[in-house]
Amino acid sequence: MNLAEITPGAEGVFAVFRQETKNDPHVHVGDVHAPDAEMALVLAKEQFARRDPCVNLWVVRYADIAATSYRDADMLEPSTDKSYRFGGSYREQQRVYRRR
Amino acid sequence: MALWAAPDAPAVLGDEARREALRAMLLAWADDELILGHRHSEWTGFAPDIESDVALSSIAQDELGHARLLYEQAAGAGQTPDRLAFGRPPEAFRNATLVERENGDWAVTIVRAWLYDCADAVRLAVLAASPLGSFAALARTLEREEKYHRLFSDVWLDRLARAGDDSRGRVQDALDALWDEALALFEAPPGEEALVAAGALAAGAAEQAVRWVSAVEPRLGALGLRVPPGRGVRSGGRSGRHTPALAALLDEMTSVSRSDPEARW
Repeated sequence: MNLAEITPGAEGVFAVFRQETKNDPHVHVGDVHAPDAEMALVLAKEQFARRDPCVNLWVVRYADIAATSYRDADMLEPSTDKSYRFGGSYREQQRVYRRR
Repeated sequence: MALWAAPDAPAVLGDEARREALRAMLLAWADDELILGHRHSEWTGFAPDIESDVALSSIAQDELGHARLLYEQAAGAGQTPDRLAFGRPPEAFRNATLVERENGDWAVTIVRAWLYDCADAVRLAVLAASPLGSFAALARTLEREEKYHRLFSDVWLDRLARAGDDSRGRVQDALDALWDEALALFEAPPGEEALVAAGALAAGAAEQAVRWVSAVEPRLGALGLRVPPGRGVRSGGRSGRHTPALAALLDEMTSVSRSDPEARW
Protein backbone atom coordinates (compact mmCIF):
# COMPACT_ATOMS: atom_id res chain seq x y z
CA MET A 1 0.00 0.00 0.00
CA ASN A 2 1.20 3.45 -0.89
CA LEU A 3 -1.20 5.90 0.63
CA ALA A 4 -0.80 9.67 0.71
CA GLU A 5 2.08 9.94 -1.73
CA ILE A 6 2.69 13.52 -2.79
CA THR A 7 3.08 14.00 -6.50
CA PRO A 8 6.52 15.53 -7.13
CA GLY A 9 6.32 19.10 -8.44
CA ALA A 10 2.77 19.56 -7.22
CA GLU A 11 3.64 22.39 -4.83
CA GLY A 12 2.62 25.08 -7.33
CA VAL A 13 -0.50 23.36 -8.63
CA PHE A 14 -3.94 23.85 -7.14
CA ALA A 15 -7.04 21.76 -7.73
CA VAL A 16 -10.08 23.94 -8.42
CA PHE A 17 -13.57 23.09 -7.19
CA ARG A 18 -16.60 24.92 -8.53
CA GLN A 19 -20.02 25.15 -6.90
CA GLU A 20 -22.94 25.89 -9.24
CA THR A 21 -25.51 26.89 -6.65
CA LYS A 22 -25.39 27.13 -2.89
CA ASN A 23 -27.11 23.73 -2.68
CA ASP A 24 -24.64 21.92 -4.93
CA PRO A 25 -21.46 20.15 -3.90
CA HIS A 26 -18.14 21.68 -4.97
CA VAL A 27 -16.96 19.73 -8.00
CA HIS A 28 -13.37 19.36 -9.17
CA VAL A 29 -13.24 21.10 -12.55
CA GLY A 30 -9.51 21.43 -13.23
CA ASP A 31 -6.23 22.85 -12.01
CA VAL A 32 -4.32 26.13 -12.01
CA HIS A 33 -0.65 26.94 -11.54
CA ALA A 34 -0.17 29.60 -8.89
CA PRO A 35 2.39 30.57 -6.23
CA ASP A 36 -0.23 30.76 -3.46
CA ALA A 37 -3.90 30.18 -2.72
CA GLU A 38 -5.04 33.79 -3.20
CA MET A 39 -3.51 33.98 -6.66
CA ALA A 40 -4.93 30.54 -7.43
CA LEU A 41 -8.45 31.76 -6.61
CA VAL A 42 -8.06 34.89 -8.75
CA LEU A 43 -6.82 32.85 -11.70
CA ALA A 44 -9.37 30.06 -11.18
CA LYS A 45 -12.23 32.53 -11.56
CA GLU A 46 -11.48 33.21 -15.22
CA GLN A 47 -10.44 29.64 -16.07
CA PHE A 48 -13.45 27.86 -14.58
CA ALA A 49 -16.21 30.32 -13.73
CA ARG A 50 -16.59 32.24 -16.95
CA ARG A 51 -18.66 29.75 -18.95
CA ASP A 52 -20.74 27.95 -16.33
CA PRO A 53 -22.77 29.14 -13.38
CA CYS A 54 -20.74 29.54 -10.22
CA VAL A 55 -21.39 30.91 -6.75
CA ASN A 56 -18.25 29.73 -4.99
CA LEU A 57 -14.76 28.42 -5.72
CA TRP A 58 -12.35 26.34 -3.68
CA VAL A 59 -8.70 25.83 -4.41
CA VAL A 60 -6.64 23.12 -2.75
CA ARG A 61 -2.91 22.71 -3.12
CA TYR A 62 -2.19 19.25 -4.55
CA ALA A 63 0.49 18.81 -1.92
CA ASP A 64 -2.29 19.01 0.68
CA ILE A 65 -4.38 16.25 -0.88
CA ALA A 66 -3.90 12.73 0.46
CA ALA A 67 -4.84 10.17 -2.14
CA THR A 68 -4.95 6.44 -2.68
CA SER A 69 -2.59 5.01 -5.26
CA TYR A 70 -3.76 3.81 -8.66
CA ARG A 71 -1.55 0.77 -8.03
CA ASP A 72 -3.96 -0.20 -5.29
CA ALA A 73 -7.08 0.52 -7.30
CA ASP A 74 -8.00 -3.17 -7.22
CA MET A 75 -8.90 -2.86 -3.55
CA LEU A 76 -11.73 -0.60 -4.64
CA GLU A 77 -13.20 -3.38 -6.80
CA PRO A 78 -15.47 -5.84 -4.97
CA SER A 79 -14.49 -9.52 -5.18
CA THR A 80 -18.06 -10.76 -5.39
CA ASP A 81 -21.22 -9.35 -6.92
CA LYS A 82 -22.30 -6.48 -4.68
CA SER A 83 -24.77 -4.87 -7.06
CA TYR A 84 -27.32 -5.04 -4.24
CA ARG A 85 -25.38 -2.21 -2.67
CA PHE A 86 -25.77 0.13 -5.63
CA GLY A 87 -28.20 2.83 -4.66
CA GLY A 88 -28.68 4.24 -8.14
CA SER A 89 -32.40 3.71 -8.25
CA TYR A 90 -33.11 5.23 -4.86
CA ARG A 91 -34.73 8.59 -5.53
CA GLU A 92 -34.31 9.69 -1.95
CA GLN A 93 -30.54 9.29 -2.19
CA GLN A 94 -30.42 11.39 -5.36
CA ARG A 95 -32.54 14.03 -3.71
CA VAL A 96 -30.16 14.19 -0.75
CA TYR A 97 -27.07 14.34 -2.94
CA ARG A 98 -28.45 16.95 -5.25
CA ARG A 99 -30.94 19.23 -3.57
CA ARG A 100 -32.45 21.72 -5.99
CA MET B 1 -32.73 53.06 -25.39
CA ALA B 2 -30.62 55.96 -24.32
CA LEU B 3 -30.55 56.33 -20.60
CA TRP B 4 -31.27 59.99 -21.28
CA ALA B 5 -34.85 59.05 -21.97
CA ALA B 6 -35.31 57.82 -18.41
CA PRO B 7 -38.10 59.62 -16.56
CA ASP B 8 -35.72 61.16 -14.05
CA ALA B 9 -33.34 62.58 -16.66
CA PRO B 10 -34.99 65.92 -17.58
CA ALA B 11 -34.77 67.29 -14.06
CA VAL B 12 -30.97 67.15 -13.88
CA LEU B 13 -30.13 67.25 -17.58
CA GLY B 14 -32.58 69.89 -18.56
CA ASP B 15 -30.51 71.81 -21.05
CA GLU B 16 -28.59 70.72 -24.12
CA ALA B 17 -25.23 71.99 -22.78
CA ARG B 18 -25.43 69.59 -19.85
CA ARG B 19 -26.41 66.68 -22.10
CA GLU B 20 -23.44 67.50 -24.30
CA ALA B 21 -21.13 67.59 -21.28
CA LEU B 22 -22.35 64.20 -20.07
CA ARG B 23 -21.95 62.80 -23.57
CA ALA B 24 -18.35 64.08 -23.70
CA MET B 25 -17.60 62.52 -20.33
CA LEU B 26 -18.99 59.14 -21.37
CA LEU B 27 -17.15 59.26 -24.70
CA ALA B 28 -13.81 59.83 -22.99
CA TRP B 29 -14.54 56.98 -20.59
CA ALA B 30 -15.57 54.66 -23.42
CA ASP B 31 -12.38 55.53 -25.30
CA ASP B 32 -10.31 54.67 -22.21
CA GLU B 33 -11.99 51.27 -21.96
CA LEU B 34 -11.69 50.50 -25.67
CA ILE B 35 -8.04 51.41 -25.99
CA LEU B 36 -6.94 49.72 -22.77
CA GLY B 37 -9.01 46.68 -23.69
CA HIS B 38 -7.20 46.51 -27.01
CA ARG B 39 -3.81 46.82 -25.32
CA HIS B 40 -4.73 44.00 -22.91
CA SER B 41 -5.82 41.85 -25.84
CA GLU B 42 -2.33 42.15 -27.32
CA TRP B 43 -1.14 39.87 -24.50
CA THR B 44 -3.32 37.00 -25.70
CA GLY B 45 -0.89 34.16 -26.33
CA PHE B 46 2.06 35.97 -24.75
CA ALA B 47 1.32 36.42 -21.05
CA PRO B 48 3.76 34.89 -18.52
CA ASP B 49 1.52 31.91 -17.75
CA ILE B 50 -1.51 30.35 -19.40
CA GLU B 51 -3.83 31.20 -16.52
CA SER B 52 -2.97 34.91 -16.59
CA ASP B 53 -3.19 34.83 -20.38
CA VAL B 54 -6.79 33.62 -20.20
CA ALA B 55 -7.64 36.00 -17.36
CA LEU B 56 -6.22 39.11 -19.03
CA SER B 57 -7.87 38.16 -22.32
CA SER B 58 -11.19 37.93 -20.49
CA ILE B 59 -10.55 41.30 -18.90
CA ALA B 60 -9.87 42.70 -22.38
CA GLN B 61 -13.26 41.40 -23.53
CA ASP B 62 -14.90 42.93 -20.46
CA GLU B 63 -13.39 46.33 -21.26
CA LEU B 64 -14.58 46.18 -24.88
CA GLY B 65 -18.05 45.32 -23.57
CA HIS B 66 -17.95 48.30 -21.23
CA ALA B 67 -16.80 50.51 -24.07
CA ARG B 68 -19.82 49.40 -26.12
CA LEU B 69 -22.26 50.16 -23.29
CA LEU B 70 -20.72 53.60 -22.80
CA TYR B 71 -20.58 54.36 -26.55
CA GLU B 72 -24.29 53.55 -26.80
CA GLN B 73 -24.92 56.33 -24.31
CA ALA B 74 -22.36 58.74 -25.76
CA ALA B 75 -23.52 58.35 -29.36
CA GLY B 76 -25.11 61.39 -30.91
CA ALA B 77 -27.57 61.39 -33.80
CA GLY B 78 -26.43 59.09 -36.59
CA GLN B 79 -23.57 57.60 -34.57
CA THR B 80 -23.19 53.96 -33.58
CA PRO B 81 -20.78 52.27 -31.17
CA ASP B 82 -19.04 50.56 -34.09
CA ARG B 83 -18.49 53.78 -36.00
CA LEU B 84 -17.32 55.55 -32.86
CA ALA B 85 -14.82 52.77 -32.21
CA PHE B 86 -13.61 52.13 -35.75
CA GLY B 87 -14.45 55.25 -37.70
CA ARG B 88 -12.62 58.10 -36.01
CA PRO B 89 -9.13 59.50 -36.54
CA PRO B 90 -6.74 59.57 -33.53
CA GLU B 91 -7.37 63.25 -32.79
CA ALA B 92 -11.08 62.52 -32.26
CA PHE B 93 -10.30 60.10 -29.44
CA ARG B 94 -10.57 61.40 -25.88
CA ASN B 95 -8.83 58.59 -23.99
CA ALA B 96 -6.06 59.48 -21.57
CA THR B 97 -2.61 58.86 -23.06
CA LEU B 98 -1.95 56.37 -20.22
CA VAL B 99 -4.01 53.68 -21.91
CA GLU B 100 -2.58 54.08 -25.42
CA ARG B 101 1.05 53.47 -24.42
CA GLU B 102 2.58 50.30 -25.73
CA ASN B 103 2.41 47.40 -23.30
CA GLY B 104 6.09 47.21 -22.41
CA ASP B 105 6.92 44.38 -20.03
CA TRP B 106 4.52 42.61 -17.70
CA ALA B 107 5.32 45.02 -14.85
CA VAL B 108 4.30 48.01 -16.98
CA THR B 109 1.11 46.23 -17.99
CA ILE B 110 0.21 45.34 -14.41
CA VAL B 111 1.08 48.75 -12.96
CA ARG B 112 -0.93 50.50 -15.66
CA ALA B 113 -3.88 48.13 -15.21
CA TRP B 114 -3.79 48.68 -11.44
CA LEU B 115 -3.54 52.48 -11.63
CA TYR B 116 -6.34 52.51 -14.18
CA ASP B 117 -8.57 50.06 -12.30
CA CYS B 118 -8.25 52.15 -9.14
CA ALA B 119 -9.24 55.25 -11.12
CA ASP B 120 -12.15 53.42 -12.68
CA ALA B 121 -13.38 52.46 -9.22
CA VAL B 122 -13.47 56.13 -8.21
CA ARG B 123 -15.25 57.09 -11.42
CA LEU B 124 -17.80 54.27 -11.06
CA ALA B 125 -18.54 55.22 -7.46
CA VAL B 126 -19.28 58.77 -8.59
CA LEU B 127 -21.60 57.55 -11.35
CA ALA B 128 -23.25 55.08 -8.97
CA ALA B 129 -24.08 58.03 -6.69
CA SER B 130 -25.73 59.89 -9.56
CA PRO B 131 -29.30 61.05 -8.98
CA LEU B 132 -29.95 59.72 -12.48
CA GLY B 133 -31.13 56.26 -11.56
CA SER B 134 -30.47 54.78 -14.99
CA PHE B 135 -26.82 55.88 -14.94
CA ALA B 136 -26.37 54.65 -11.39
CA ALA B 137 -27.66 51.26 -12.53
CA LEU B 138 -25.20 51.22 -15.43
CA ALA B 139 -22.37 51.93 -12.97
CA ARG B 140 -23.43 49.02 -10.76
CA THR B 141 -23.47 46.72 -13.79
CA LEU B 142 -19.94 47.69 -14.82
CA GLU B 143 -18.70 47.47 -11.24
CA ARG B 144 -19.37 43.71 -11.08
CA GLU B 145 -16.62 43.03 -13.61
CA GLU B 146 -14.38 45.89 -12.53
CA LYS B 147 -14.21 44.38 -9.04
CA TYR B 148 -12.48 41.36 -10.55
CA HIS B 149 -10.17 43.53 -12.66
CA ARG B 150 -8.98 45.21 -9.47
CA LEU B 151 -8.44 41.84 -7.79
CA PHE B 152 -6.39 40.57 -10.71
CA SER B 153 -4.16 43.63 -11.05
CA ASP B 154 -3.77 43.96 -7.29
CA VAL B 155 -2.63 40.37 -6.61
CA TRP B 156 -0.19 40.67 -9.49
CA LEU B 157 1.10 44.05 -8.32
CA ASP B 158 1.55 42.60 -4.84
CA ARG B 159 3.48 39.54 -6.08
CA LEU B 160 5.68 41.55 -8.43
CA ALA B 161 6.49 44.14 -5.77
CA ARG B 162 7.51 41.45 -3.29
CA ALA B 163 9.25 39.05 -5.66
CA GLY B 164 12.82 40.35 -5.58
CA ASP B 165 15.05 43.22 -6.62
CA ASP B 166 14.68 42.85 -10.39
CA SER B 167 10.92 42.50 -10.19
CA ARG B 168 10.48 45.31 -7.65
CA GLY B 169 12.76 47.55 -9.71
CA ARG B 170 10.64 47.03 -12.81
CA VAL B 171 7.48 47.82 -10.87
CA GLN B 172 9.01 51.01 -9.47
CA ASP B 173 10.26 52.03 -12.92
CA ALA B 174 6.80 51.48 -14.38
CA LEU B 175 5.23 53.50 -11.59
CA ASP B 176 7.68 56.37 -12.13
CA ALA B 177 7.03 56.32 -15.86
CA LEU B 178 3.24 56.11 -15.66
CA TRP B 179 2.33 58.22 -12.64
CA ASP B 180 1.81 61.58 -14.37
CA GLU B 181 -0.17 60.04 -17.19
CA ALA B 182 -2.31 58.22 -14.64
CA LEU B 183 -3.07 61.53 -12.92
CA ALA B 184 -4.07 62.87 -16.33
CA LEU B 185 -6.98 60.40 -16.30
CA PHE B 186 -8.57 63.12 -14.18
CA GLU B 187 -8.46 65.95 -16.67
CA ALA B 188 -11.92 67.47 -16.51
CA PRO B 189 -14.02 66.95 -19.64
CA PRO B 190 -15.48 70.12 -21.19
CA GLY B 191 -18.57 71.40 -19.43
CA GLU B 192 -18.09 69.22 -16.38
CA GLU B 193 -18.62 72.06 -13.91
CA ALA B 194 -22.16 72.51 -15.19
CA LEU B 195 -22.89 68.84 -14.48
CA VAL B 196 -21.52 69.13 -10.95
CA ALA B 197 -23.43 72.35 -10.33
CA ALA B 198 -26.65 70.72 -11.52
CA GLY B 199 -26.07 67.78 -9.20
CA ALA B 200 -25.84 65.29 -12.08
CA LEU B 201 -22.32 64.39 -11.03
CA ALA B 202 -21.50 63.84 -7.37
CA ALA B 203 -17.83 64.86 -7.76
CA GLY B 204 -15.81 66.49 -10.51
CA ALA B 205 -12.50 65.28 -11.89
CA ALA B 206 -10.38 67.28 -9.43
CA GLU B 207 -12.17 65.73 -6.46
CA GLN B 208 -11.95 62.30 -8.11
CA ALA B 209 -8.18 62.71 -8.44
CA VAL B 210 -7.93 63.43 -4.72
CA ARG B 211 -9.93 60.28 -3.94
CA TRP B 212 -7.75 58.24 -6.29
CA VAL B 213 -4.50 59.45 -4.73
CA SER B 214 -5.78 58.74 -1.23
CA ALA B 215 -6.68 55.21 -2.34
CA VAL B 216 -3.48 54.29 -4.21
CA GLU B 217 -0.85 55.94 -2.01
CA PRO B 218 -1.36 53.80 1.12
CA ARG B 219 -1.39 50.60 -0.93
CA LEU B 220 1.83 51.49 -2.75
CA GLY B 221 3.42 52.45 0.56
CA ALA B 222 2.41 49.13 2.11
CA LEU B 223 4.13 47.37 -0.77
CA GLY B 224 7.31 49.35 -0.15
CA LEU B 225 6.96 51.28 -3.39
CA ARG B 226 7.88 54.94 -3.71
CA VAL B 227 5.08 57.21 -4.80
CA PRO B 228 6.54 59.43 -7.53
CA PRO B 229 6.43 63.17 -6.95
CA GLY B 230 3.63 64.72 -8.99
CA ARG B 231 5.30 66.69 -11.74
CA GLY B 232 2.08 68.31 -12.76
CA VAL B 233 -0.61 66.71 -14.86
CA ARG B 234 0.56 65.82 -18.35
CA SER B 235 -2.47 66.74 -20.31
CA GLY B 236 -3.42 65.99 -23.86
CA GLY B 237 -5.50 62.87 -24.33
CA ARG B 238 -8.76 64.37 -23.16
CA SER B 239 -8.45 67.14 -25.73
CA GLY B 240 -7.35 64.87 -28.57
CA ARG B 241 -3.58 65.31 -28.36
CA HIS B 242 -2.15 61.83 -28.48
CA THR B 243 1.17 60.04 -28.83
CA PRO B 244 2.08 58.22 -32.07
CA ALA B 245 1.26 54.98 -30.26
CA LEU B 246 -2.47 55.66 -30.62
CA ALA B 247 -2.30 56.13 -34.38
CA ALA B 248 -0.41 52.85 -34.72
CA LEU B 249 -2.91 51.07 -32.47
CA LEU B 250 -5.92 52.39 -34.39
CA ASP B 251 -4.30 51.55 -37.71
CA GLU B 252 -4.10 47.91 -36.65
CA MET B 253 -7.40 47.79 -34.77
CA THR B 254 -9.41 49.22 -37.67
CA SER B 255 -7.73 47.34 -40.52
CA VAL B 256 -10.57 44.82 -40.93
CA SER B 257 -13.28 47.40 -40.45
CA ARG B 258 -11.71 49.71 -43.05
CA SER B 259 -11.63 46.93 -45.64
CA ASP B 260 -15.43 47.21 -45.78
CA PRO B 261 -16.88 49.89 -43.52
CA GLU B 262 -20.46 49.03 -44.50
CA ALA B 263 -20.18 45.32 -43.76
CA ARG B 264 -22.72 43.89 -41.33
CA TRP B 265 -21.35 41.45 -38.75
